[in-house]
Parts: sequence; structure tokens; C-alpha cells
Amino acid sequence: MAGLIIRRVLQLILLLLGISFIVFLSMHIAPGDPADIIGGPTASKEDIEGIRESLGLNEPLMVQYFDYLKGVIHGDFGFSFQTKESVSEALLSRFPNTLNLAIASIIVAIVIGVTAGIISALKHNSWFDGAATVISLAGISIPNFWLGAILILVFAVNLQWFPVGGLTEPFWTVEGMKQLILPAITLGTGSAAMIARMSRSAMLEVIRADYVRTARAKGVKEKTVIMVHCLRNAMIPVITVIGLNFGFLLGGTIITEQVFAINGVGRLMIESIAARDFPMVQGAVLLVATLFVLVNLVVDIVYALIDPRIGFE
Amino acid sequence: MKKNFSAKLLSVLLVFAFALAGCSGNSASNSGGKADASQEVTYATTSKVVGLSPIMTNDSVSSAVNEQIYETLFYRDTKTNEIKGLLAEKAETPDPNTWVITLKKGIKFQDGTEFNADAVKYTFDKIKDPKTAAPRASLLEPIKSIEVKDEQTVVLKTAKPYGPMLAALTHSNAAIVSPTADKKQDLMKDPVGTGPFKFKAKENGEDIVLEANKDYWQGAPKLKKVTYKVVPEITTAVSMLQTGKVNFLDGVTSELMPRVEKLKNVSIEKKKGTPVYYMAFNMEKAPMNNPEFRKAVAYALDTKSYVKKLRGLGVDSRSFIGPELFGYDPSSEQKAIQYDPAKAKEIVKANGFDKQQVTLLAANTASYMNMAEVFQAQLEEAGIKAKIETLEWGTYLEATQNGKFDITVAGWSNVTGDGSELLYPRLHSANSGSTNIGRYKNPELDKLIEASRSTVDQDERKALLKQANELVLTDLPVIPLYHGVASMATDKSLQGINLEPTGQWTLYKAERK
Repeated sequence: MAGLIIRRVLQLILLLLGISFIVFLSMHIAPGDPADIIGGPTASKEDIEGIRESLGLNEPLMVQYFDYLKGVIHGDFGFSFQTKESVSEALLSRFPNTLNLAIASIIVAIVIGVTAGIISALKHNSWFDGAATVISLAGISIPNFWLGAILILVFAVNLQWFPVGGLTEPFWTVEGMKQLILPAITLGTGSAAMIARMSRSAMLEVIRADYVRTARAKGVKEKTVIMVHCLRNAMIPVITVIGLNFGFLLGGTIITEQVFAINGVGRLMIESIAARDFPMVQGAVLLVATLFVLVNLVVDIVYALIDPRIGFE
Repeated sequence: MKKNFSAKLLSVLLVFAFALAGCSGNSASNSGGKADASQEVTYATTSKVVGLSPIMTNDSVSSAVNEQIYETLFYRDTKTNEIKGLLAEKAETPDPNTWVITLKKGIKFQDGTEFNADAVKYTFDKIKDPKTAAPRASLLEPIKSIEVKDEQTVVLKTAKPYGPMLAALTHSNAAIVSPTADKKQDLMKDPVGTGPFKFKAKENGEDIVLEANKDYWQGAPKLKKVTYKVVPEITTAVSMLQTGKVNFLDGVTSELMPRVEKLKNVSIEKKKGTPVYYMAFNMEKAPMNNPEFRKAVAYALDTKSYVKKLRGLGVDSRSFIGPELFGYDPSSEQKAIQYDPAKAKEIVKANGFDKQQVTLLAANTASYMNMAEVFQAQLEEAGIKAKIETLEWGTYLEATQNGKFDITVAGWSNVTGDGSELLYPRLHSANSGSTNIGRYKNPELDKLIEASRSTVDQDERKALLKQANELVLTDLPVIPLYHGVASMATDKSLQGINLEPTGQWTLYKAERK
């Protein structure tokens, strides 16, 4: 396992270097000047030039990039162009919200997706299977912003079961859980649908396998056949989907964070892109990329734990 | 057995969901709203607060916070439109290049520092220092030196007479900061001013909490705590207002107005505002540089009907200097071209403008895109083929400053409330390619604008601004579409907010009843 981890960490360093360069270049090539946005439409030419100079934007591009890289190597991700706050501090203060939301969403997705997938496979071609397939399709197709707005109107405004938005309380408190429920459902629905479809097809494949027939013929209890013989073997592709989805959820919470007024990394990233806040965008992208790679590493380790044939090499 | 397992799982899920729902009760509605009349309020803002230093920020959300923490030397009385002293007692002009400002006594900053002429000099020097890179350094550009005459008197010297001096000093970016605090801490995070509220904390990484300044020189405010909560989605913010989680919000769009008007616990305040929304032409491109084309566009635009659709959020006026600005004269309205589709078609046909296509550029915010769509349709009716192009805000700013557009719908907030500070940045040739996005150059207008800025006599300035405005209305480098209305939706338990025509507001006299 140590070999796998070391290899991945080395790959991660190279990957982050490449990503930092691509993000840096694309942000500078993209139209829009941070100084224009900080100054706003009312700032004069001289005001804008003063801001540009103070941000170091008049330096040659490569000088700017290597200065940035030098800082990153020393653990300094720089300061926000716009708010002047430290990029590391800004990301760290928002990351717990994104992580809580992503974990809650993936739990929603796993509980709904795996359960629906298994039941669909066991009741293949039943009304439940048909309904689950249609709902899965809807789950993948419904946009988050619409689902979020509808959930707010029904459950927060009309029924007042949950708060409208915000993620301000610790998740282990009742208030914190209530704040998480609607955004987690909004964000987790799409992943739940994907997991349900994958679980269903993986289970269907396994249920028809010879060893399952043998287990049943030997008189093994149905519960044991499903939970031990089928589920464990069907889980490999499902875990891949879960891992990928979790990676996306960590970086793809933007719309849900926006609709539910959650101060997370996704929203910070979109605000920073709009403000051409280069250091903040770079920091956020590097964080999300690192998490994505780490989640994939965990998925690989879980593979090996579930199926010893896969191994760590 | 299979049935049993599924049923168990379903039961567990249902119990968990109901337990949480049961725990929630109606807490959302109890977190604020009428039931809770403590002197604490929450305001919903759709953008984050960039920073808490008036010197280093130039966005409306930061100003909304900074207006409660800091104060300016002068303010514009929203009832009389007169400029009056706030931290300053009076201003005298012994000669046109000298402004002697006497400050009020006995005022202290929230950190205990004495407010005096040194604090004013420190603040203004810092704004003007190129090293500061203040986004609105240009506001004080005409000031050449700031001298401390004595503890209560500061003397501002200008190279040329500068008429809108007091208007510039009402701008929230010219608010006075505590020199002691600025030297030892970052005001962007830890602000200190003389205002009725002081900074308490930043919560959840972005929500700003202010508390009452009990030692405020005009007496402590009634509200004890004010929270600025960032809610990026305006529809979510309205839902929060409905459930009492926030107590007020501003900038309600015309699309959302019907929903807000139906809320029983909410009252809406509207005030005719200073912003102007207009169509700007790129004067370096044909056919926009042809006065006949601009005239045809002016005749083609039915701004009256557009304003009617804004549900009270717009003022119909074709004057560039709007009704709430210093320099407005109602008689100038007669000089403006009014909607006449027949005349528009006639000019278009006669000049062959129907054979060309122009682009109508808009920033991709709902209000600008809506304007572009409506007015494009009206131009098409007159025979002018206009293609809409929308750009994200940052790209839009760059495109307009670089002249990469034919026609654009634009706006100007007019925070100082002075017509000179609209005409100079937007239409003076010195600002061509920056704030004068249309690159309009007219020596006659330049002279009138300069005279309106360099005359200290306010009546004379008014007359000059009238002339300049009428020249704009006949030469048409821009076509005013409508003037803004500041709006605010508040929980009925919250009263006394002073909504200003600029859209900014102060909470000093506000309280919950």
C-alpha cells in the first residue's frame, strides 16, 4: 500500500504543477482585468493603473507565475486581489462547509442509490424497477438550481420544516443537520440516480452468476446470498461511481452553495472567477484537484480491501 | 426475507426524516420575524462584502457596511438635496482654490482616538498616495494639498477651482478613518470609524456583524446588533425575508416585486434615485458617429412603456442629468427627443441605416439583458438591425473600455448626487477610453463641464450644468433610458431606516417595534 501512496503523491505533485500553470495561463488569457473589477466602472484610468501596479500585474507573465510558484512551495498561496485576505485562510474557513455538504450528499446518494439499485435488481422488471428507472432518469435530468428552489419553497417556506438556507451550525447538532438536509438532497439526487443505475446493473450481473446459483442451491439464506455473495462482488463498479461522484461533489457544489447561501469553496471559486481574483482561483482549483486525486486514491485502496485479487500494485 | 430487509431500511429512513422534521418545528419562522422584537436585525446581501476600509473598496455592498461604521465630512440631505456638515461644522472658500473646513468638536473614533484635522489629513493623504492604490483616488484628485491649520480646521488647496468639492466629500469613499487604527491594523478586516455602529465579528467566513457604538457622538443607536448575511440567490433571500430569517433586503428586482408585494409581514419602500441607465454609442464607429443615426435611435425608443413595466422601480425622464441630481432642470426635458416611431423609420430609410447591422452589448445581469432585449425589439421595429451580445461583467468592463462595442446599455450610480460628477467621467474627452466608454469628444461640452467643475458659485454651476445637459440631449452621445429608484423590502417590525436616493441606507435611527 505504501508504494501505491508514494506513487500517487508523486503523480499529484506533477499534476498540481501542470494544473497551476494551465489555470494561471487561462486566467491571464481570459478577457477581463482584476483591476477593472476592483475599481469598478466609476474608477478613472489612473485609479485602475494604480491598482494594476499594486497587484503586480504589470510584471511579465512568467515572472508573475514563478513568484506565485515560489510562494506555493513555501506554503504561501498569496493574498486575494479583491479582499486582501490570505488565500489559505479563506479556503480553510470555507472547506468544512463544502466537505460537510459533499459528505451529506454522498450519504444521501449512497443510501437512496444503492438501496433503490439493489431492490430494482432483486425485483427485476417489477413496477418498482420501472418506477426506479424513471425516477433515476429524472434525478439525473433535474437541474440542481430548480430542485433546490422547489425544496426551499415546499419544505422551508410553506411547511417550515427546515431553514431556508445557510450552513452555520455544526453538523452534529440538530440545527446543523436540518440545515444540511435540503442542500444534501438537492446535490445528492443526481449522484443517487447514477449510483442506483450502476448498482442495479452490477447486481443483475452478479445475481445471475454461477456461484450465486450454487450458494442458493446449497441452501444459504437469501439475506446472506444478497449481502455477502452478491453485494460484495457487485460493489466494485459502484464504488468507482461513488468515488468519482464524491470527487465531483467536492468541487461541484457551486450551484447548491449558491441557492442555499452556503459559504463554501465552490461559491468562493465562482465569485473569484467573476472578480478575476487569480490567487484565489488558483488556490481553490489546486485544493479541489488535490482532493479529487486523494479521493481516487482512497477508492483504489477500498478496491483492494473489498477484492483481494486487485491488490495494491 | 427480501421484503423484510427492504421494509426495515425504508422504516429507518422514514423515522430519521420525520424525527428531523419534528425537531425543526417552526424554528425558521422564530429565528427572526415579528415575534422576536429584540433590537437585532439581519440584512441579506446578494454579494459578499469585499472589505471594510472605505479607502480600499469601491463596491456597493462594502459601502453598505462602511456607511454604518464610518462617516464623511459632509452629507447630502435627501429631503432638500442640500449638502450639510456631518463631521464638519462648515466650509468656507476665501478664494476659489482654498476650502477651509471647520470640524465638529468632541467626536471620537470607536477606538478612542480623537477626531480632528490630523485624522482628516491622514485619511485624504492616504487616499491620494499612489502607493495605496485606492480605487477612488480620483475623487480627491483636484486637491493638491491638505493642511492642518489647527485641531479643528483643515485647509484643502486645489490647483484649479473645484466646484463639486463638497459633493466629492459626501462620497462614502472619502469617509474618515482612525489614523491610530490604520497604522496598527488592517482596516479591511478590522475597521474603526466614528459611525454609530462598530465592527464586532466576521461569522461563517463572510457574514459581517456590527454592534451599536454606545459612545456615538450623536447618541447610541437603538439597534444593538446588525448582521450582513450573504445570500447570493435573490429568490432565496426573499424566502428568508418571508420566514423571518432576514429582516430587510434592498435592490428587489421588478420581476420579484409581485412576490414581495404579496408578503404580509413585509413593507416596501421606494425612493426616486440618482442612478441613470442609458444607451451609449461608440463614437469612433460608423454609423454611431452619425448624428442622424443617433437621432433615429432616440425616436425609436419607447422608454415610457419600458418604465411602466418596471413596477415603480424606474423614473421616466429623458434628461441625462436626472431629477435627483444637482444640475437638473425640468425645462431641459423639452429639449429631449421623445418616442416617435414614424420619424425613426423616416430617418432610417432616408439614410439607409436599415442596410447595416449593429451590435447591442449588455452585461449579463438580468436588468441589463432585459433592457437590451426590449430596446433591440424597438430598434428592429424602426428598421435598425441590432444583434444582442451579452458579456460577463469583468469581460464587459474590459470590452467597453477598449471600445469593442457598437451600442451598449450602461448605468452610472451618481453617488455624489452632482451632475458634474456624471458628465465629467462619462462624457469629457479627458476620460475617453476609460469611464467615457463611448469615446465622445466635444470641445464645447468639455468647456461647459470644466466650467461647471471649476466654478465655486453653486447657482452658476447649476446654470452651466443645464447648458451641458441640453447639449448632450441634442448631440446624443448617450440616450437616457430611465432613472433608477432605490428600493428596500423590510420586515414590518423594523422601522426608521434612512433610504438614500443613491440606494445606500443608514441604520442610525432604525429600530424594531
